[in-house]
Amino acid sequence: MPHQPHQPRRPRHEKDNEQGNENHSETYIQPAALANNPFMPMFTIFRDELDEHHDRRERVIKASRDITALSKKMIFTMQRSRSLYGPQPLFIEKDTAQRTSQIHALFTSILPDLTSGTLNSHRYARNISGGIQEYLEAISFHHYLITGRLLTITQAQASLPEGINLTIEDYFGGIFDLVGEVMRLAITIIATTPLDKEGGGVKTPKILGDLRVMRAFFDSLDTRGGGLGKEVEKKMGVMRTCVEKVEGAVYGMLVRGSERPAGWVPDGSGMGSGGRGEDEYDDA
Amino acid sequence: MSNNKMDIEPTNVDPAAAANASVVDPEIFESVQKQIDEDSQLRDELKGYLKSMDRQARQISSILSRAHSVPSSALPQLVASTQSIFAEQKVTIGQLAEAASKYPYYKYNNIWTRDIQNAVFAVIFARWLVGKDGKQGELMTIEEVGEALGIPVNIKDRDTFHLTIEEYLQSIITLIEELSRLAVNSVTLGDYQRPMLISRFVKDLHSAFQVLNLKNDILRRRSDGIKYNVKKIEDVVYDLSLRNLVPSKQVEVEGEAGKA
Repeated sequence: MPHQPHQPRRPRHEKDNEQGNENHSETYIQPAALANNPFMPMFTIFRDELDEHHDRRERVIKASRDITALSKKMIFTMQRSRSLYGPQPLFIEKDTAQRTSQIHALFTSILPDLTSGTLNSHRYARNISGGIQEYLEAISFHHYLITGRLLTITQAQASLPEGINLTIEDYFGGIFDLVGEVMRLAITIIATTPLDKEGGGVKTPKILGDLRVMRAFFDSLDTRGGGLGKEVEKKMGVMRTCVEKVEGAVYGMLVRGSERPAGWVPDGSGMGSGGRGEDEYDDA
Repeated sequence: MSNNKMDIEPTNVDPAAAANASVVDPEIFESVQKQIDEDSQLRDELKGYLKSMDRQARQISSILSRAHSVPSSALPQLVASTQSIFAEQKVTIGQLAEAASKYPYYKYNNIWTRDIQNAVFAVIFARWLVGKDGKQGELMTIEEVGEALGIPVNIKDRDTFHLTIEEYLQSIITLIEELSRLAVNSVTLGDYQRPMLISRFVKDLHSAFQVLNLKNDILRRRSDGIKYNVKKIEDVVYDLSLRNLVPSKQVEVEGEAGKA
C-alpha cells in the first residue's frame, strides 16, 4: 500500500515496532497490557507447564548423549577381544562393569522423567532412544562375546534399570548395530589369525553362521503395520551388506588363504554387493 | 567353496558353541513378532475411529465454513445445525479414548493428535461464532473444550487419554488463521464491526503467545506465523478506518488498544 497517508497509519507502526521487540523477552508486556489481556493468566500457566516439559526433555537428551558416549567406549574396548564364546579378559570385564554402572547411574538420574506406568513414560522415548540403542548394542555385544548368542528382548529389558522402558524399536536398533560390531570383529579375526592355527579357521565360520542366522531372523519377521517403518528397512539393508562382507572375507580366506603374503588383509568389500552402509564399516 | 580345505567346516566348532545350535533363541522371534502384531492390531483399531473422526470433522467444517458467506444473524442457526455431528463426534472420541487409554498415552498419541486438534478447532470456532449466549468473540478455555469433547484435559498424575496444552494451543493457532480470513470476508458481507472484534481478539492472543518459551518445534513454527495473520487483519482494519467505515465506538477502542 504505497500511497497511504501517514496519520492513520502511525498507531499501527508503533504497535508493530513494539511487537517486533517483544519476540525474545517477556519484559515487554506492560502491566496495563497484561491487565487488559484476558488470555494472559491462562497463558502464564501454560508457559510454566511447557517450561517444565522442556526442562525434562533437555535432561533426557543430555543423559542420552552421555550414555551413547560411554557405550561407544565400551564397544571399542570389546573390539579388542580375541577370545570368543567364553570368559573375557580382565581388561574387558573391568571396563564393561565400570561403564555399565556409570550408564545405570545416568539412567537412574532421569528415571523420574521416564518411569513406566506414569504419564510421561513414553513422552521422551524419542529423546532417550539413541542412548538406549547404543547401550543395547554394547551389552548385546558383550553377551555375544561370552555366550555366542543373541540377547533376548527379556534379557535386554532386564539389563536396564527398573522403570526404563524398552521399546521394540530400540531393541531392533540395538541388535542391528550389533550385527555391524560382530562383522567388524569377524573381519579383524580373519585378518589377524593365521589360517592354519586354531581359532581363525574354526571360529570365523561360527561367526559367519551366526550372522546369517541373525539376518534370516530379521528377514522372517513381519514388521508391516507396526510402528517400525522405514528405519527398519534402512537398517536391514545395512545389515545384509555386513553379512555379505564377512561372506566375502571368508571366501577370500578359503580360496587365497594359503597363498597370501605376510601382511595381507582380506578385503571383504569387493565380494559383497557393496552399496549402502559400507562406508560405515570401512575402518573394520 | 564346497569340496576341499575341510578343516574349516562348521562341524569343527567347539562343543560348547555347537550346543547352541542357533544364535537366535526361538523365544526372541516369538516375543518380537508378538509385540509387532499387537502394535499393528492396536493401530488398526485406532485408525477405524480416526477415519470416523475425519469424516465428522469434514462435515462440520463444510457447514462452519459457510460462516464466511452468511451474516452474523444467520450464525446461530448455522452452528445449531452442526450439533448432531458434534454429538456423533463426541461418541467417537469417547471410543478412541477408551481404546487408547489401555496403552501408555504418549506411545501412540502422535497417531490421533492431528484429528483431536481438528476436533478442538471445530468446537472453539463454533463457540467463537455464536458465544455461549449469542455474544461473538469468545475463546473456550481448555477445560470447556475438554467438557465439550468429553475428555479430561492436561492430566499430569496418571497415564490416560486426555487433551494436552500443546494440542489446545495448536487449535487456537488454527482459529487465528480462520479468523484472519473471516475478517476479510466480514467486510465483503458489509459487516464492518466484526473485523474490529477479530483484530482485538487476535492481538490479545498474539501477545499471549509471546509469553510462552517455545522451543524449536512445530508449535514454535506455527506460532511464529501468527504475526502474518495479525498483519492481514490490521490491513483490513486500516482500510476501513481510512475510509471512515468503522463504527465510531470501535475506533476509540481500537485507538486505545493501539496506544496501550
